Formats: sequence, structure tokens, C-alpha cells
Amino acid sequence: MRPEIGPRPLQDELTPVSAEPYRFWQCRTCGYLYSEEAGDPMEGLAPGTRWRDIPDDWICPMCGTPKAEFDMVEV
Amino acid sequence: MIAQDIAKTIVSPKAYANGKQVDDAFAYLRREAPLEQAQPEGYDPFWVVTRHADILAVERQNDLFHNGDRSATLTTKEADRRVREMTGGSPHLVRSLVQMDNPDHFNYRRLTQGEFLPQNLKRLEARIREIAKGFVDRMADHGGRCDFARDVAFLYPLHVIMEVIGVPEADEPRMLKLTQELFGSADPELNRSGEEIKDTSASVDTIQSVVMDFMTYFNAVTDDRRKAPRNDIASVIANGKINGEPLGYLEAMSYYIIAATAGHDTTSSTTAGALWALAENPDQLARVKGDPSLMMSFIEESIRWVTPVKHFMRTATADTELAGKPIAKGDWLMLSYPSGNRDEAVFKDPFKFDVGRMPNKHVAFGYGAHVCLGQHLARMEMRILWEELFPRLQSVELDGTPKNMEAAFVCGPKSVPVRFKMN
Ligand code: HEM
Repeated sequence: MRPEIGPRPLQDELTPVSAEPYRFWQCRTCGYLYSEEAGDPMEGLAPGTRWRDIPDDWICPMCGTPKAEFDMVEV
Repeated sequence: MIAQDIAKTIVSPKAYANGKQVDDAFAYLRREAPLEQAQPEGYDPFWVVTRHADILAVERQNDLFHNGDRSATLTTKEADRRVREMTGGSPHLVRSLVQMDNPDHFNYRRLTQGEFLPQNLKRLEARIREIAKGFVDRMADHGGRCDFARDVAFLYPLHVIMEVIGVPEADEPRMLKLTQELFGSADPELNRSGEEIKDTSASVDTIQSVVMDFMTYFNAVTDDRRKAPRNDIASVIANGKINGEPLGYLEAMSYYIIAATAGHDTTSSTTAGALWALAENPDQLARVKGDPSLMMSFIEESIRWVTPVKHFMRTATADTELAGKPIAKGDWLMLSYPSGNRDEAVFKDPFKFDVGRMPNKHVAFGYGAHVCLGQHLARMEMRILWEELFPRLQSVELDGTPKNMEAAFVCGPKSVPVRFKMN
């Protein structure tokens, strides 16, 4: 929450998470694309779920590749 | 051990052509013996992995279950002996991604992986649409009757993949014939001898002669692309480097062969099988025509429905356990994709063709490190064809009895006679 008064906080603390641009992550094996904005509701990931909030033991829903083997991509 | 009659069915090309025979056999196995060993006459014993969850478990553990240690497809003892005799001990006539394990698999796959990612395929969309339009026009020119398998489904994905690889149009009939001789080697209507296969060791010699023809062809392509690279897959293979070295001869030739064969036969079968299913289920055709948002679920369902790749084999690299059964190092396992795709534990009414099926996590493209490299291309090609065909297709019905190819590895419909109205 942004304080109304008092000293001005650092920019990072100030920016709400939702203002960070959404990113895409892609499975290196099969090409499955995870959009942070869209999430993947069929996989239980609500729209807006950030990549960093997905557990480390999560695997690609299309081919089972571990989360660590995804790349951030521009689409 | 699985009873002989069932064991015989699940390796029989004729039973796959019949369809219902293998469906019944696998339904029985899923119920009574979901992971059990089979030893049909003439074969070494192998585990039959029938359940969706077990197929995923094997495919995910690609260091524990290798592709390359024994034959990656079902082979009789006699055929295996002949292959090893010809190759000086290797169980493989070719060495493509399918026969590789890490580290080679990773390195070789990475070479072309990027070309097949959805974002990079987008640049092909307009050209593929032109090709699709041409085929839809040709279908209309048939005047209301055609064999959709032979006249459209075999030819369209062939044309697309040959452009992607860089094979000139004039050579497409030759590529189609060679592919059908390879995958249809057990089908007397498609194979090189034109006869029923009785001696499986002699059939290896026939397959080897088909492979040699492919190699002669692609060797010339390599020479050409080394001299004058173009913007095609052939140039990537011809000029590619693995650990700083050009690809080995066998590996390069095998790369062309897998792209040139797996790249169309599977998609053709799925396309032909989808129209067959729509002709038999006019309500489903009306649904997908009336609601374009069902396009992708219809395509996914077509792929599940046809499941053109019937199996791949894996070999255990260590003693382990799977679904409560002890698997020994060196054991051979058959991953039955058609069975996984009819698994009652995953799919509601698995024997129903449902264009709106959701979710539809089928295993027709496999899973894990070897998951189909061309899956996005396959989906895109089919989507474009249906987008061009559906608005013009008023009705379609079967005009005779469709026929499946006789094969226990890759197969689908070889004839789908239809009567149709188009505008
Ligand atoms: C509907 C169409 C298709 C189906 C059902 C299909 C199915 C499969 C299956 C089941 C595998 C084995 C996966 C595994 O072991 O887990 C595979 C691998 C492969 N497919 Fe496809 N395929 C299709 C289209 C294509 C296309 C269009 C290409 C184009 C190049 C292609 C190229 C390959 C290659 C290169 C492999 C080997 C991958 C590896 O071992 O790493 N496939 N495909």
C-alpha cells in the first residue's frame, strides 16, 4: 500500500506488482508458452500468476519438462 | 504374461487396420492387466504400457528409459538379427532423434527446435494458406465426390513439409511413395514387394533399400545446400554443427528422413481420419462449422481420435519399478499411444468423437524430451485447411467404406471415399 504521508519509499516498494509488465515463458522442449497475463486456468494458474510464484517443482503441462528449463521470451 | 491372442493382436498390422480389434484388446488390458509382459510368437518379451499415467511416467524419465539401447519400434527377433547383421551390431537402420538419448538427443534436437516453435512458424502462415486454398479448390473441382485421403489429405501436408525442408515440388510423388513404402512396409497395397510379408528378415532388406533411396536423394541435397544455403531445413541440417563439427553422415541423412516422413504421414492420417469422423457425425460437423471457437478443440480431438503413431519402444537403463511392477535393466517397453488416448481414467466417453472435448491431454504427440518436434506445425496446417474448407463445405457423407493402412507403427486411413456439397 502506498503511504499517504511520510518519507517517500523506494520506487520498487512503491510499484504494485500488477504494474510490472507481464512476461512470457516458453518450454525449451515443446514450445508451450506460459503467459503471466493469461495464466493457465486449466492447470490451476489464475490469470496474472507470475512466473516466480509458480512452484519450482511445477512441470510443463504439455510435455513434463521441469520449470527450470523454460526461457523468458518476447512474443 | 499377456495371453497369446491379445499379444498377437497388439502387434498385428491387420488388427490396427481393423481398429476395433486393437481397441477391444487394449480396453481389456487397461482393465485386467494394465502393465504386463507380452511375448507374441517371434518377438522378444516386452512390457505393454497401456495407461495414460504410466506412459507419461516412462516418457518423463528419459534417462531411466532410453530410446536407443534397443530398437525404438517393435521388431521381430528375426528382423532385429538382420538389422544388427547389416549395421555391424546396431539395432537401428537410421539414427534420428527418435533413436538418440542424451547428450546427443539434446544437441541434435536443439539444431532445428527453433524452426518449429509457434512464433517462428507464423511466417509460414500465409504461404500455407495459399497451399490449403489450392487443395480446397481442387476438391471442389472433383465435382462432389472424391477419395479425401488420396486426393487431399495425403498431398497437402506433404506439400507443406517439403517446402519447409526445401524439396522441390517435382520430387513430392517420389517422397510420398518412399514414405508409404517405409511406414506401409507390412501393407501389400503400399509396400515395395506388393505382397504379404511372411519373412520379417527379408522385409528388413526391403526397408533398407527404401532407406538407401532416401539417402541417395538427400545426400545430393546436402551437397547442394553446402554450396548454396537457402532459408530451409535442409540448409540447417547440411550446414549445422554439433559441438563444432558437422553432423555425421548417418545422423544427417536420418534427420532428413524423419522430417520427410514423420512430417506428413501423421498429419495426413489425422486429416483424413477427422473428415471420416465428421462424415459419420454430422452433428459434430455442424457444431464446429457453427462455432469457430471450437476449432482448436476439434483439432486436438482429431489428433486423439486418430492417434497415427501407434507406439514407440523404450529400454530400461536400470532396475526400477513402474505401477508396482518390477522392471529389470534392459527390459523393453511398448508405449501404446492409442491405449493411453482411450484411457477411461482420463477421458470421459473415450470412444466418442467430441469436437468440444476439454480438457484433452492426449498423448498422440508423446511426452517428455522426445515429444513431437513438429506438433505446432501439424496443428497449424490442419487449422488452416479446415478454416479454408469449412466455410465452403455444405455437407459431406461417406461414399463407400473407408480403409485403414495395415501397420502397427504409423498408420491411419488410406482411403476415405466421400460425397459432398461445396460452394
Ligand atoms: C498429427 C501429426 C503428428 C503426430 C500425431 C506426431 C506424433 C509423434 C510422436 C508420438 C512422436 C514421439 C514422441 C515421443 O517419443 O514421446 C513424434 C516425434 C517426432 N515428430 Fe511428430 N507427429 C506429428 C507430426 C509431425 C510433424 C509435422 C513433424 C515435422 C517435422 C514431426 C516430426 C517429429 C520428429 C522430428 C520427432 C522426433 C522427436 C524426438 O525424438 O526428439 N512430427 N511425433
